[in-house]
Amino acid sequence: MTRRVCIAGGAATPFDYPMHITPEAMIANCVVETQGDIPDFHLRDLQFMVYSHFSVHFGKQLTPEWIVHDHLGLVGLPHVRIENGGNTGGSALYGAFLAVKSGLFDVVGVAGWETMDNVTQSQGSEFIALASDTRYEALAGGIYPIYYAAMAYKFMKEHDLTEEDFALAALKNRNNAANNAKTQWYRGEYKKYGRPLTVDDIMNSRLISYPLKRYDCCLMSRGGAFTLVTSEEWAKKHADGRYVVIDGAGLSSCTIRAGDRLHFPGWTKLYGEGYPDMTEFAACRKSGEDAYDMAGIEYKRAVKEIDVAEIHDAFSSSETQIYKALHWCDKDNIKEFIREKRTFLESDGGGDLPANPGGGLMGYGHPVGATGLMSAIETYYHLTDMTPKKHLSARTYVPDAQTGLVNSHAGTGTSISNFILRRP
Amino acid sequence: MGDDKRMHRIPDEVKFSDSHKDDFRGDVKEIGFHFAGYDWDADEEQFKVYLHYDQLYYWKLAEISKMGKGFLDGEFWATQCPNCGDKFFPPRVNCWDVECNLAKSEWIKLKGEGIVHTFTIAGWSGKSSLKRLPFVLAYVVVDGCKTAIANELRGIDPWNAEFGMPVKVVWAPKEDRRGTVTDWWFEPDDGWEPSPMNPEKERMKELCAPVYDWVKSMK
Ligand SMILES: [Zn+2]
Repeated sequence: MTRRVCIAGGAATPFDYPMHITPEAMIANCVVETQGDIPDFHLRDLQFMVYSHFSVHFGKQLTPEWIVHDHLGLVGLPHVRIENGGNTGGSALYGAFLAVKSGLFDVVGVAGWETMDNVTQSQGSEFIALASDTRYEALAGGIYPIYYAAMAYKFMKEHDLTEEDFALAALKNRNNAANNAKTQWYRGEYKKYGRPLTVDDIMNSRLISYPLKRYDCCLMSRGGAFTLVTSEEWAKKHADGRYVVIDGAGLSSCTIRAGDRLHFPGWTKLYGEGYPDMTEFAACRKSGEDAYDMAGIEYKRAVKEIDVAEIHDAFSSSETQIYKALHWCDKDNIKEFIREKRTFLESDGGGDLPANPGGGLMGYGHPVGATGLMSAIETYYHLTDMTPKKHLSARTYVPDAQTGLVNSHAGTGTSISNFILRRP
Repeated sequence: MGDDKRMHRIPDEVKFSDSHKDDFRGDVKEIGFHFAGYDWDADEEQFKVYLHYDQLYYWKLAEISKMGKGFLDGEFWATQCPNCGDKFFPPRVNCWDVECNLAKSEWIKLKGEGIVHTFTIAGWSGKSSLKRLPFVLAYVVVDGCKTAIANELRGIDPWNAEFGMPVKVVWAPKEDRRGTVTDWWFEPDDGWEPSPMNPEKERMKELCAPVYDWVKSMK
């Protein structure tokens, strides 16, 4: 296992709703932006393509990756599409990681997108709910924010948290996004506000599903992203000073129905009876632990070793639950961890582990197939010092970061991946 | 292989002598691809097409057919592993414990009563559920199952729902049943009384007020 796998470039399109650009043009734009950062990179270098796309419902087009692939001129190259709910991006990255790690390929492209603005918001919510067990959950009136709210409410009660505690993640990520021209928040509602959000803004937004309000939830989007995954040999030669090493990678799974987690034998064996219940993201803990193990990070020291993270804040509550699943805090100190603003930027009175300085899903939006790649790219920018150039200012740049964490998350915690990125 | 008890039999031929395929169809038509209109922005040279696409799906319940027919008859069928005894609703036709190695489970009839494990008050939902807002979606452990099942909790002001409250299964009138989980919902158990109002309940009530107004304004 000595062969090291790197991220040696990548870019995201703006995320927005609606936005007028086809998937193939989104990916073409991302490749062009990547070439701007990595001038040596040419389409001719690609040996394998992994496409990251969640729902063919939005485009009413099966195998839409075939359209993108031949648009890029890559006929003859092997290609696959990886689909894994909200963790599609992380899973595609995992696939590319395996492909390079195996020694079979040196240069793999990962291209992802979603076109959720092809339908109305309420129809879109219902499409996404088709990734829950439609026979039992979607039919009962459930959509994802409702499932997450039911899990979050119990978590909130058991940890003595408040709506205001969740609100901190919601305002942090949007306020970070205000410094990133690619985010849906910056392109849309921020223009109207023209000021940072406050806890009151979150608390006063309309009810989505208690305890979640509108600003506790991310938005549906159109958007695309591209990531270049290579061997270290290639990266050293062609992207010197602009690549990071994937030192840890974990992918784990949980039940499709959140209600089936109270006594699942597989988890009982691993973590003991009654875990994860409906409050913990066991697949986040497991994939995080696997990534930490691979990267040689002691779980208790993760909070110290990680300098910057992009995590899957589809809901403010889930960002908060992820803090615990990744061992950044535990049941006893989670309240202090939140209230001491440990995941805020230093410039915002924050702490030692800035999470989602790029804006996260709440700031960027969540065009599913592109989201996990966006998180990887934003982390990569910090570790290659490109953030000040990519964001509107250096306000949201975490200088001297050595280690980053990327998290991608699906279903009600049904599939989750975590990656540890380090400077070479 | 054919003799293994865990194998589920696949019928050679199924004849639905009791067919109701259009009983609830209403005005819904299958139209396939239907181009309903277009938009054009001459300044930006942007063209948009309106595609309407409808399709009828057939969900064959096959091994869990007993559950669907049970719903029509007002019966709540679950399964149980003969090896470890775990009880499942939604029914699993093989045990979930890898140690039981796909042991085929057995059907058992559940009592229509349970305990709320967790819940939320929905103020927004998918297209098909907007008019029912706000509603309580509760995850309930029914009759000692190892799982919690999601469904609506009715017959209660949303802010009065509680963790751990006892609930009962209530069936829709027979003519409204479809053989799906929409045939029933939860209601507070007889004799259950809500606790007095408190600041958190007031907060929930406040959040629900605009939702009630909004739903009233929908046509
Ligand atoms: Zn068993």
